Parts: sequence; C-alpha cells; structure tokens
Amino acid sequence: MPEAVAYQLKNIRHYYENTCALNVDELQIAKGSITGLIGPNGSGKTTLLKLLAFAMPPSCGDIFYNGKKEGCFSPVVRSKITLLTQKPYLLKRSVFENIAYGLKIRKDCRNLDSRIRTALAYVGLDHAQFAQRKWHQLSGGEAQRVAMAARLILKPEVLLLDEPVASVDTQSARLIRTASLNARDQWGTTLVIASHDLQWLYSISDSQLSISNGNIFATGIENIIPGPFEETREKTVIKKLEDGQILTLKKPENKKNTAMIKKDCLRIKEDNGSDNQLSGQIISMLAGEKSSHVLTHICVQELSFTLKLVPDQICRMNLYPGKNIVLQFDSTDVEWI
Amino acid sequence: MDFIATGFIKAIELLISGDAATWSAILATLKVSTCSMAFSLGAGLPCGFLIGYFDFKGKKQLRTLLDTLLSLPTVFIGLVVYAFITHRGPLGEFGFLFTLTGIAIGQTILAFPVVTAITAATIEGMDKELKLTLITLGAGKRNILMTCLWEVRYGILAAGVMAYGRVMTEVGISMMVGGNIKYNTRTITTAIALETNKGQFADGIALGLVLMLIAFIVNLSVSFLRKQ
Repeated sequence: MPEAVAYQLKNIRHYYENTCALNVDELQIAKGSITGLIGPNGSGKTTLLKLLAFAMPPSCGDIFYNGKKEGCFSPVVRSKITLLTQKPYLLKRSVFENIAYGLKIRKDCRNLDSRIRTALAYVGLDHAQFAQRKWHQLSGGEAQRVAMAARLILKPEVLLLDEPVASVDTQSARLIRTASLNARDQWGTTLVIASHDLQWLYSISDSQLSISNGNIFATGIENIIPGPFEETREKTVIKKLEDGQILTLKKPENKKNTAMIKKDCLRIKEDNGSDNQLSGQIISMLAGEKSSHVLTHICVQELSFTLKLVPDQICRMNLYPGKNIVLQFDSTDVEWI
Repeated sequence: MDFIATGFIKAIELLISGDAATWSAILATLKVSTCSMAFSLGAGLPCGFLIGYFDFKGKKQLRTLLDTLLSLPTVFIGLVVYAFITHRGPLGEFGFLFTLTGIAIGQTILAFPVVTAITAATIEGMDKELKLTLITLGAGKRNILMTCLWEVRYGILAAGVMAYGRVMTEVGISMMVGGNIKYNTRTITTAIALETNKGQFADGIALGLVLMLIAFIVNLSVSFLRKQ
C-alpha cells in the first residue's frame, strides 16, 4: 500500500526581493514521518518550514496538504499545523496563559488546567513551579520548552520545529526529542525538524533532507563546494584550497557556480584510482538509529565532506575521529547546482 | 506675591464648597475629553494597527502626514471645525456650534493623529516573531489584531496618555468652537484663561489644581495598569 502523503510541493520558488531562497521542483513528505532538515545558515530551511506552516505564500508554485491545494489562513490547515520558531516568542503573560492561548482561540477550554499540566510534563516542567511564572521569569531553555508545550497541547497533525535544541541543554534536548516522538506515536503527528545538531537530528528522524542554496536533496546530507572555480584548458575547473591542495571537477555546462558531490561517490583512499585525492581529518562519526551506516564528517581545510561508511569498513581501516585520511573522488562525480 | 497664596487658599474653598461655575467647567471638560478620547481611540487604534502592521504603497508618505498632524495647532483645528459646523458650513444644519459636541469633534481630530501615529510606531517596533507565532498557533485575523494590540499595550497606554494630555490642555478648540459659555461650554482651560484675564486668580488656580489632579489620577491609573 502506498504511503499516505501529508505534503506535496510542486514547482515551489520563493524569493526575497530578487534572491531565490527556495527552489523545489517536487517534494513529498509522508504522513506520520519525522523528517530532518539539514543545511548551513541561510540555506532555506526556515523558509521551507514557514511555507509548510502556510505562514506565508510561496512566490510561485503549489503546496498540497492531504492532497488539497492550500493557502495561508486556510481554516483547514490553520488549526492543524503549528511551527515552533528558532527564537520562540512568548506572549507577555504567564506560562499558563501562553500554553492555553492556542486552545482558547480554538474555543476549546475543557479541563484546561489538567491539559496544561500534561503539556508541561511533556517538556519536563513542573506545573506548580512554572504555570504562574511570567514570560520574563524564564531562562532561554525554559522559554523554548514552554513554547514547545504550547504546541504539543494542540495535538497538531503537523509539528514543524526550527532549531528546537539550539539553545537548550542536553537534558532539555532529550525531553524535546521524547516529546516529539510521543507526538508522532500518540497522535500520528508528522514532524519536520531543522537542526544543526546532526547527532540529535539523526537520533530522531526517519529520513533527512539536505538544503543548500535553496535546493533540496532528498538523499540527506550532501557535499557542497561553493565557488569560485578557475577554468582550465581541459574542460575542467579547479579550486585551490588554503594549503595548496587542488580539487579538479568536470566543467559545468552552464554558468552554475556551486558543485555538489554525493556522499556515495566519496571514498577513503585504499588505491590510487581517482583524480581527486585530498588530505583531511575525520571530525565526527554519527551512527543513525534506523540505519546501518555511519555518517563520517571529514574536514579538508575550509571544506567539510560527509560520506557513508559501513561498520566493517570502519573496523578494517581503523577509522576514528581525529585520524588523518585521504579522501578520493572522481572529477566526473560532480553535479552543478 | 500674596495674591498667589490667597489664590491657593480660595481655590481650595471653591472646590470644597462646590462652587457651581467651577464644577460646571470641570464636568464639561470631563465630558468632552472622555467623548473625544473614546472616538479617537476607537478609530485610531485600528488605523494605527493597519498602518504599522501592513506594508503598502504610500506608507512612508502617510506616516509623514501623521507625524505632521501630531503638531497640528489647536486654533487651526478650531478654525476648520468652526468653518464646517457654523450655520453657513456644510454641517451647519446639525447645530453643533457652541456645543460640547462641537468641542468633542475638534478634540477628536486633535487626538486621533496622536493615537494613530504612536500605535503605528509601536506596532512597527513589535517583535516580528509575534505575528509568525500567532499564525502558527492558529490565530485568525481578528485574533492577530487583538493579541498584537494586547502585546503592545504599554505603548498604546502611552499613546492614550499623550492624546489625553493634549485634549485636556487645549484651549483653542474649546474657545473657538465652544464659545466659552458659562454653565454650558466653558471648560477648565477656557475658564482659566478667562478668570486670569479678569484677575480672578483663585478661580484660575482652583481649576488648574483640578487639571493637575486629573493628570495625576490618569498617570496613577496607567501605572497601576502597567503593574497588572
């Protein structure tokens, strides 16, 4: 049976003045899934989340929710989709009133006190201690958790989280993870989560989308090499790194200036078969909960590369964070975006 | 200098004894200022919200016009309102000239730009995350309007207090449109001007004290509301 689709995005383009912030030809997000969004600052993650929240319309293109084309302020989506922003705004009222706000505008005030108690418990806050506190009496992490509770109490169909663990401690991050998983398991909530904390994101998400310069890669984190590049006579372009190492890539057919090398095309040197051999250092290794692969991040001067390794290979090559290695890939393995 | 001290003592006597002329001016002032504030807040708050919240063509020009209207001279408003409500004017048939209604119309025109401009500035300075938060919590357009106004309530209180200050202390509109008719359209400020001209300092000081008292009560109320 095909997986039910919560979102379908078609030919979405979003511009801020003349700059294209998001460029998505086709994207589907399954119902009840947890999708991780990975990408550097300014890559388009927040824009995508705002569009998914129907908080603003795209410059062009259509967003379908549960198979129907929807727009901003559509009553169908307004009460079902909620977004927790990177810097959540708490209303200038008590914690109780902040959490109750969403229910009150839905005119659903049944058992308000006990529901708020439960919502606070989801994020590890004690009702007696926090319910009557004013918004200015909370730390950054507590404010983040109150904002999360204000979303969880709504039992949303879709919960969009923008950097939910950026300003919280490890314990709070664990609670937010548990609360997010509970939302999916108890209410079938679809979650889309943007985070720079890859370890945390891999521990919660079923699949990852990588965003770079507004382009989405459904294969998860990929390796982006920004320009400028120098042209050579042999239908190739090169990029000189700070330490003198040179990257050689197949020349783009049009004037694209950002290269992408899929993680599946990267190898750690075992032979001399590639035209790109870069010395670097392993900086981290992440084991996904639902995958048998280990995502390995390698720093090569100013560039960062990610590749997928299997545990056997890691053991055989005795790889560990901090180890110096040589990274290989072919110049023809590049895609220009 | 004795006349000032004597004036103070007589002022207290006038207020305590319930002098009819003094209390008539106080009541007239409270009536017109309450009325004009109600109308200017009723119209100014939504207008200020719309101007501050939305971006539209001509917004900057509108803001400049509003800021200019902030310093509109009261005698000029008095003149314009007089021209409109005088028997030969377009609104002459309603008989507003030399009535408290006429003064209230003029004072509404005086207070409206103050309320609108300060509300717009307050809304413009509002945290941009607020709108996004409200939308994503499921708020409709009316909820957004009401919640935004509530979130910037201190700024709006300041707008109200400033507008009230201008309304309470103006003389030009009350004098020109109201005519300063004893027991009828005489307000505190026009009475002070008249009594001072007549050399009746006690009456002037008594009314001045009332003005000060009203200002004190308004500010005390605002301070109380802020603490709430």
